[in-house]
Amino acid sequence: MSVLKIKDVSKIFPNGTTAVDSFSLDVADGELVCLLGPSGSGKSTLLRMVGGFETPTSGLMTIDGEDITNVPPEKRPTGMVFQSHALWTHMNVFKNLAFGLKLRKVAAPEIKRRVEGVLELVGLGGYGTRAVTQLSGGQQQRVALARSLVLEPKILLLDEPFASLDQHLRERLREEVRDIQQRLKITTLFVTHGQDEALSMADRIVVMRDGKTEQIDRPDVVYREPQTPFVAGFIGTMNLIEGVVSNGVFSKAGYSTPLPVSDGPAILAVRPEALDLTASTTGQGKVHRVTDYGTHGLVDLELKDGTRVKAMVSHPDLFQPGQGVSLAPRAIAAYRDGKVIHRTSAVAPAPHPALVDA
Amino acid sequence: MTASDQIGSVTPVRRRPYGLLLVATPVLLVAWLVIWPIISAVIQTVWTTTPQGQGAVSLDTYSFFFSDGYSLSNLSMTLWTTGVCAVLLLVVCLPIALYLRFSNTRVAVYVQGLAIFPMFVPSIILSFAFIRVLGPNGTVDLLLNSVGLPHIRSPYLTPWGPVIGLVWDNIPLTVLILLSGLGSVSNQAVEAARDVGAGTLALLWHIILPRISNSILVAISFAVLGIFSAFTLPYILGPAAPEMMGPFMQRTFRELLEPKTAITQAVVTFGFCIVFGLFYVRSVAKNRAA
Repeated sequence: MSVLKIKDVSKIFPNGTTAVDSFSLDVADGELVCLLGPSGSGKSTLLRMVGGFETPTSGLMTIDGEDITNVPPEKRPTGMVFQSHALWTHMNVFKNLAFGLKLRKVAAPEIKRRVEGVLELVGLGGYGTRAVTQLSGGQQQRVALARSLVLEPKILLLDEPFASLDQHLRERLREEVRDIQQRLKITTLFVTHGQDEALSMADRIVVMRDGKTEQIDRPDVVYREPQTPFVAGFIGTMNLIEGVVSNGVFSKAGYSTPLPVSDGPAILAVRPEALDLTASTTGQGKVHRVTDYGTHGLVDLELKDGTRVKAMVSHPDLFQPGQGVSLAPRAIAAYRDGKVIHRTSAVAPAPHPALVDA
Repeated sequence: MTASDQIGSVTPVRRRPYGLLLVATPVLLVAWLVIWPIISAVIQTVWTTTPQGQGAVSLDTYSFFFSDGYSLSNLSMTLWTTGVCAVLLLVVCLPIALYLRFSNTRVAVYVQGLAIFPMFVPSIILSFAFIRVLGPNGTVDLLLNSVGLPHIRSPYLTPWGPVIGLVWDNIPLTVLILLSGLGSVSNQAVEAARDVGAGTLALLWHIILPRISNSILVAISFAVLGIFSAFTLPYILGPAAPEMMGPFMQRTFRELLEPKTAITQAVVTFGFCIVFGLFYVRSVAKNRAA
């Protein structure tokens, strides 16, 4: 049972920059939570504070109820996997993994058993005598993961561990890491700026912006029910059309659609896959570009004022640049003052097991 | 066109000797000003003219050097000074380099300035300052005397005089070399060690020192090469006898007017220096291979 609680944690650097601003989060036992956000959103700083490499300016952090806010990293029950692997090149794979155990004065036969066990777990059985410089990027990252796992930390911290890998390897490794995490049921905090990583791995996603939380939810909820325009724009591809609502109708450059909210400015959010197109000489938009991805096509449209809108279509060959089209959204959301004011489709919110106790 | 035709039609790339031309001048200069004097010196010391006027190979000058008590005590004094200086340099410079590498404070900038400062001070001025501060009736003596304390035993004209001066003189280069080595130790490698439980000493011993062992070897090789054949500081600050090889060679050449003996001393000095030079070359080759 390892529960991480972060309460009102802030980090203000000496130059006055606020990296993390009154951040709170509870990570349940065995849960994998992704901190997702653009560069400078404070996600790495937050992870480093949990790891003990940065000291919070204010706030409290506990692991299983024990205050770790000011505990140095070497005394924390956390294990961190760094973006650049951070393996010690003067040691071979076995020594990299055994180092932490030796410092804990674990007996040599036990070190051997645990190191070999964890190497098997990450698919590197028999690699103990290899020099780390002889390994590929993916293998090095597995060694880095094994180095943390061999110490059986209460909380596993992953700081963009796949950022330096190619796309194919990244996809494979994230599945492997998720499998290992679920098998060991280890509480994990994972930092990434890749939304696909977050959506495919996390039990919950924390979307961060300017050191603050924008939304904390299950991946499907974050994708389908973004609470702010920022989340809507950051997760997946979203058409965000700024317009005006008058008498229950949203209008923008010749395009209009019913929107049952009070009059005033609004941002209409439509996913490309929720936007149907029909060819029409008197349509509201004009095809700018058509991209065929094989499994589907993406049509880039232009409204009359030049606003760009994307629509996903199953038959891209039906559309040509310059062609007039009509837009028919199947699901929309609308935002005003940074908050959602209307939504036509919703994901049934099922309570996450991690949140039941809370 | 068949595949073999295509292969046959490929014009072989001609290796142009531009690279060799670029290094030709320094190589020729080294050959002329360094290699040839070494060969010439060795020949002069082993080639002798018999009373009959014939040339012959003889190791008499080396036999004399290694059987003469004064020459040997000078050599051992030089080896002692070099060894003590090397140890002291490591003890003094490693903490400074570690501080400069891992500190982000403004103070580190000033410490770096102070550590590099001796590089800009000529040895002769350093010697003068040493005498004025640590010499008999120097600043330290005056200060002690003013509060009624006894005189210090001044290191001036003792074996410790050159040691203090040479250590001070070699701090900048040693710090810079160690600092460049520490630059290859990434913050994340250090953080990863702390993450698995390494305290300060374990971090230094198991992570940092093995990663900068080459730099330590290079720094010590450089320092030793300079100190072994140092002249100004040992000449001004050191004892008259025994003396270090630098002043010994100069006195043998200028005052005793025995150029062949002085050249023999130089060849012996070169022999010791080349051992440390080989350490340096080996370290560079190892780095290149890595």
